[in-house]
Amino acid sequence: MADKNELLPGTLDLMILRILSRGELHGWGITQRLAELSQSALQVDEGSLYPSLYRMEDKGWIEAEWRIRENNRRAKYYALTRSGRKQLEKEQEIWERMSAIITRVLATA
Amino acid sequence: MNLLRRLRTLLRRRDTEAEMAEEMRYHLEQRAAEYAADGLSPSDARLAAQRRFGNTAALQEQARDTFGWSALERLGKDLAFAARQLVRSPAFSLLAVVTLSLGIGATTSMFSLVNGIVLKPLPYQRVDQLERIYRSNAQNPDGNLSTADFLALRKAQSSYGAVVAYSLGSASLSEPGQPAELASSARATADLFSVLGVTPQLGRAFHPEEDQPGRDRVVLLSPRTWRGRFAAAPDIVGRIVRIDGEPHEIIGVLPESFNDWRYLGAVDFFRPLALTPADAADRQDLRLRVVGRRDEALTPAEAAGFIASFGEHLARAFPEANSGSTWRTVSLQKDAAGTGAFIVLPMLISLSAAVLLIACSNLANFLLARTMARAREFAVRAALGASRLQLLRPLLAEAVLLSLAAGGGAILVAHWFRDWAALRSTGDNGEQVIFTVDWNVMGWAFAASLLTALVFSAGPALFALRLDLNVALKSGGRSTTGTRGHQRFRQFLIVAQFTLAMILLAGAAQFIVGVNDAQNRRAGWESAALATGSMLLPVGQYRGDAKLTAFHRLTLERLAALPGVESVSLSAAAPFLDWTDVRKLLVEGQPVPVPGQELAAMFNAISPQYLATYGTRLVAGRTLDSRDTASSPRVYLVSQSTARAIFGEGDPIGRHIAVAGGDTTRWGEIVGVVADIQSADPEPNPVTLRVYPALTQEPTRTVELAVRAAGVAPAALIDSIRTTMAALDPDLPIARLATADAFIARSFYQMRFLRDMLTAFGVLGLGLASLGVYGVITRTNAQRASEFAIRLALGASPRDITRLVLGAGIRQALLGSLLGLMGAYAVTSALSYAFRGVRANNPLILAATTLILITVALLACWLPSRRASRLDAMAALRAD
Repeated sequence: MADKNELLPGTLDLMILRILSRGELHGWGITQRLAELSQSALQVDEGSLYPSLYRMEDKGWIEAEWRIRENNRRAKYYALTRSGRKQLEKEQEIWERMSAIITRVLATA
Repeated sequence: MNLLRRLRTLLRRRDTEAEMAEEMRYHLEQRAAEYAADGLSPSDARLAAQRRFGNTAALQEQARDTFGWSALERLGKDLAFAARQLVRSPAFSLLAVVTLSLGIGATTSMFSLVNGIVLKPLPYQRVDQLERIYRSNAQNPDGNLSTADFLALRKAQSSYGAVVAYSLGSASLSEPGQPAELASSARATADLFSVLGVTPQLGRAFHPEEDQPGRDRVVLLSPRTWRGRFAAAPDIVGRIVRIDGEPHEIIGVLPESFNDWRYLGAVDFFRPLALTPADAADRQDLRLRVVGRRDEALTPAEAAGFIASFGEHLARAFPEANSGSTWRTVSLQKDAAGTGAFIVLPMLISLSAAVLLIACSNLANFLLARTMARAREFAVRAALGASRLQLLRPLLAEAVLLSLAAGGGAILVAHWFRDWAALRSTGDNGEQVIFTVDWNVMGWAFAASLLTALVFSAGPALFALRLDLNVALKSGGRSTTGTRGHQRFRQFLIVAQFTLAMILLAGAAQFIVGVNDAQNRRAGWESAALATGSMLLPVGQYRGDAKLTAFHRLTLERLAALPGVESVSLSAAAPFLDWTDVRKLLVEGQPVPVPGQELAAMFNAISPQYLATYGTRLVAGRTLDSRDTASSPRVYLVSQSTARAIFGEGDPIGRHIAVAGGDTTRWGEIVGVVADIQSADPEPNPVTLRVYPALTQEPTRTVELAVRAAGVAPAALIDSIRTTMAALDPDLPIARLATADAFIARSFYQMRFLRDMLTAFGVLGLGLASLGVYGVITRTNAQRASEFAIRLALGASPRDITRLVLGAGIRQALLGSLLGLMGAYAVTSALSYAFRGVRANNPLILAATTLILITVALLACWLPSRRASRLDAMAALRAD
């Protein structure tokens, strides 16, 4: 299992924020979108999404609202807040800088 | 972190949990549905979805940490565990809660007293701007103003603010077909209520034009009078009542808040001041109580400066009336509480705190013993890596639970106290200290409980922290008496308890003895055979001195003719209470003193049988009798100390004295000397000289009636006195008609109230302290059982064991009592400062209280020591 594509710490939050920046979604929707975008390459317990969501909700980056979906089921929809958008910009910038550095180091060393 | 959101999630915790579960379930169902669509059986699909999802419980736990619930949950667990511990030993818990409830309840009750008397603002607008204005001189630091001086101040008030005035007195109130009643009345400037900021609940306040003679037949009722006498009639406004025989129109009823014990609450009704031109020019009669509303722009000091300089100006302008007097201001709120309150209330709070401290140290001792019994458990937990905080938490939780329960109990105690106090502190006229168990008081109870928890859990907790692992584990679970330091701490607690108990007991005992002494003081008069009452002859029917004197004579004759009556007296004042008629004396043949330096004496006009009725002894000369009439030469009796103060060793009989001031000096001859008397008031009056004119020569409208019974109990005379007087004048009320002893007891209700509270503190403190020493010695003995057994086995006699146990307890009690004596000295010094009639540090009382305390301690130690000496040595040794 050494080739399992595990997540780098902190990157799940970044990806969730990025996905939510396209529009609000519920937890299941985020999972599906993540699988779709990564072409199911990420190996991660699907449930670990939720503590991440709650933490970011607590920090005020995202906010949640319950909506009725088809056949009267409720689902909790998450949306990016203004401070979440800022956070996304900041983390994305850090990520891009870091990955550029790492790529450069790996390429030239 | 957003505190508000955190709080919201906390409050909605159950919802949030449910939502979390729902959200995850939804996810699992969606995933399972997808697997099922791929062809898995429903149960396999569910399992696969769960595998893909991860450990739901662990994830939820992780989420909970996010919400900060875990700390709360731990606290909840601690409290639940503590509650279980407490329920497991119900006797201890009950004892602890009751002890603490009493302790916290005592301080909470005292705080509600402070709250009612000092802290709660008077029911007026902007109370901070209101001030009483006093005129002080050598005779009276809290003097009132004369009408002319007040009017001068009112005219010149521009820079100060508004000044208003009122005078207090009594008046008879009657309606057609109802018996007349003697009521407490006030005459006030028309703007008194607008300046105080009080609006009547019914009707209106006075109009300015009603503040003049002839147009002043209007009356404002206090809410108490409206309820009590007029059954809260809604159509009261416009009704006509007779006041002193004259018809008056009721124009309004003051608001309910006006029944405040502290200020004007005793007044039954108000009339306009309506000064006649003669009244307005009077500078001698100091009858106006003056209140000012300071201008907003002035500081209290500036206002006081203005008033003081105005007083100086008047003293210079009218030296005859005002020299030697200074004017000062006191904030009305502070003035209403009374100066004594600022000594008595802190003292009561401290004494109740002493009760609480005793309760606390009791509990500290009990908890310490419990902690000791669990020493091994603590040691094991510490050895397994429990942090100090973790060791401490269950102890603190127990303490917090106990004291919160006790806080609830304390509020109950304060509630009971309120009912009791309301009853005991009701004045003659139904005015009350208004106690409320309001948020202030609740807050106090709560704060006191938490502080208490900290205090009494600190000892055991410190012990748990300093636990020596090795020793505790090696002791092998045997009960121990603890380390030396720990024993010291216990002994310290016992000593402290006895110190506090001694302070309480000695302080209370001295006060109780002082008050009782004063009230049982029959110095120069007797009261056992007397029935007494007060009458006020209304101006309407009794205009002029001749009519007053005729009625006085008729009263004396009719009452003296009743069966069972030995003698009857009428006088301006009774000897039980302080006399209020203070005048300055001139002595014939002695130089006229500088104004302000005259001798002051209290005057009491008396009828012929006064001395015989009250049992006051005539020392020299003759008493006043039927010879002395309005037309005969003026005569006076003086008291022995008055004669000595004026004439030294010379013979006073035949000498002449007169009242200073007034237009003409009317000399009167001293015809007799009577024994000195002292009132039953524990507060000695600064004026000690007494002069008795004849009632026929100075008839008064208010008279004190006294009837001396012979062969029957005085109480049996009351009905016949009432019917006799009603036959003389059905409109004439007799106030406070009762036996003299009942009246005296009633007059000092505030003192008695204080005395009863101190008694309660003393008894409570002693009870708790002896419970403490009893508990500690019992527990120590249980823990020392094996030691005693060995001693017995080695040949000690049961008496030796008794002595051993008794000795330790007594030593601590003695040491505590000794230290307490010093504290008691301080407390009683403060008491005798506040109540000059109470003698400080009476050695007899101190000795007696020490004896009581030691006896109780002896008993508390002796009971457990007897049990220790009857120990079955074999059983005790085998048990360990």
